[in-house]
Amino acid sequence: MAQSKISVDLILSKLAEEAEKAGESVQKASDVLLEPLETEIAVTPYDIVYEEDRVKLKHYKPTGDTQLKRPLLVVYALINRETMLDLQPGRSVVHNFLQEGIDVYMIDWGYPARKDRYLTIDDHVNGYMDNVVNFILDKHRLDKIHLMGICMGGTFCVIYSALHPEKIKNLVTTVTPTNFDTDQGLLHIWMKDMDVDRIVDTYGNIPGDIMNMGFLLLNPARLMIDKYVGFMENMANKKFVENFVRMEKWIFDSPDVPGETFRQFIRDCYQKNLLIQNKMEVGGKRVDLKKITMPLLNFYGKYDHLVPPEACELLTGKVGSKDTEDICLDTGHIGIYVSSKCQKEFAPKIARWLKERDEDKKSSSEKKQQK
Amino acid sequence: MSDKEKDDIGPEAFFSDWIKTYMAFWESMTAMWPAANMAAGVPKESKRDGKSSRFEKSWRSTQKTWKTWSQVISEPETMEAIFKGTGILPEFFLTLAQTGLKSFVQIQKQWLEKAEKVQDSTKSYTFENLDEDAIKVWIQLYETELRKIFNIPQLGLTRFYQEKMIRSVDKYNIFQSSLTEFLRLLSLPMEKSFQVMQEKLTELADKGNLPEDSKAYYQMWIKTLEGHYMTLFQSLEYTKILNKTLHSMSEFSEAKKDLLQDTLLYMLPVPTQKEMDELYKEIYLLKKRIKELEIKLLKSN
Repeated sequence: MAQSKISVDLILSKLAEEAEKAGESVQKASDVLLEPLETEIAVTPYDIVYEEDRVKLKHYKPTGDTQLKRPLLVVYALINRETMLDLQPGRSVVHNFLQEGIDVYMIDWGYPARKDRYLTIDDHVNGYMDNVVNFILDKHRLDKIHLMGICMGGTFCVIYSALHPEKIKNLVTTVTPTNFDTDQGLLHIWMKDMDVDRIVDTYGNIPGDIMNMGFLLLNPARLMIDKYVGFMENMANKKFVENFVRMEKWIFDSPDVPGETFRQFIRDCYQKNLLIQNKMEVGGKRVDLKKITMPLLNFYGKYDHLVPPEACELLTGKVGSKDTEDICLDTGHIGIYVSSKCQKEFAPKIARWLKERDEDKKSSSEKKQQK
Repeated sequence: MSDKEKDDIGPEAFFSDWIKTYMAFWESMTAMWPAANMAAGVPKESKRDGKSSRFEKSWRSTQKTWKTWSQVISEPETMEAIFKGTGILPEFFLTLAQTGLKSFVQIQKQWLEKAEKVQDSTKSYTFENLDEDAIKVWIQLYETELRKIFNIPQLGLTRFYQEKMIRSVDKYNIFQSSLTEFLRLLSLPMEKSFQVMQEKLTELADKGNLPEDSKAYYQMWIKTLEGHYMTLFQSLEYTKILNKTLHSMSEFSEAKKDLLQDTLLYMLPVPTQKEMDELYKEIYLLKKRIKELEIKLLKSN
């Protein structure tokens, strides 16, 4: 008798084995889901030291001696929340910075209400951001601070540094889009023809849920199916469940985006690509990237589907500074901040880079005097 | 029976006599008015300043008009004309009915023509594109034919509200059509991935390479699905339909807001969103102005 091409026996026995495992897993999973879970996010202690309208400034409590003369101000995007940088103990960029002896401030943009629909990029950059920077400068009696931006917050930091270079000592941009003329990211393709005026005029602020739906549609197979299949497979693992829920909490905590800011961001950046061409105007002033003369460290993810490398890598060549560095990590948009591998590279690299550039360069006459 | 006698018992004579009797009855009733008042104990002094009550006055005026009219009507010449006219009535009603029926048939004919257009489109269906064509035909039918109904001008005092209501229903229909088209597009990769899986499995089975682990099948499928989605999302058609859906969603949302918030809410003692937006803008501009002045003041000091 000829042997069957398909090893039916093997497949069936494997299926039976998997069914048995699944049964055990479901039993364990119910135990895990029914017992108390630690799913708190953003647990690193901080004080609110400045408030203006909906915007708050968080100042994280140092865990040891501060090793930098100047504090670091972190500016997150208006999309999703800054809690991603402090997702959980062991996966917290903020905690890692504190461990490295950095004095960390972070802007919490809050939840824009209907009344915030008229706030423009100018209001965010030359208004809130500048007030926060001035507050930190006054508090520490300094002339300059370090600035770090994330995604859209990075774009804000680039604009701020070009308009107020005298207040920024070093600039760190992470997954920051500055060149929008690329077909590599789906967002860049979709936004090109979007009738942004119609959407902003209708909704006022852009609802966070609509934005989230858009992000899920970037990869439905992975984000709407595979992700939850992974969850089902690991439901018996308490740590996995806790981490998964933390991420879910963060990812669906989406404030609305102020309408006028969204309008300008899509029109001037995604549709006209003005920023990288030094043609963008904010608060009546042209944003000239050549005025970014401070050192610049530019991080981006090789597999970032939201802000692809092509959207980030042109910046260092366009600024006025000679001290620039591009770092492309083997990860995606969020992985830079939360993956275990990047935890070991990302924060320590920034800390080292800042430490090397924290002190004022002494003039040649000062050096001679010391000798 | 003489001709005169025949005429006397004809409908004209009967109707004329009835009118006369009817008038005589109400005349005598009116004449009894003062006597009835007396009997009811209403004193003559109740007539203020010697004037009759408004009701009595109105009653007498009505009766006078009725008397004049009935006298004219009960004249033999008028009666004859009326009864001659009744002979034409069936013809009149027939004309009326025919006109109505003709209009109805005309409308029905137009609708049948519209329905035929759907049939024309369905004839060209191929089985593969059945759902796609059905959606497209529905959108076309709605936009070119059915939508015209919503454009019929509204009349009267409430036309403004009717128009807003109709506009929101129309925009809802357009949004639903676009959304259906968009969802159909999103379902395509799923459908195709299953087809590809079937082909792959057949191929693997033929070669005797079927994986033993069920996870391998899932991984194979999810990769295929992801690939199909990526291809779809980069297509011009997807961007076009996505924008169309977003546009129609915005239009529906605007029409709904216009009806519910800016029209119906306007009648309630609460501010509408439009009013609040105007206020927010004023506050926003004022705050900006104050900040500018503060900075100027600080600099001047």
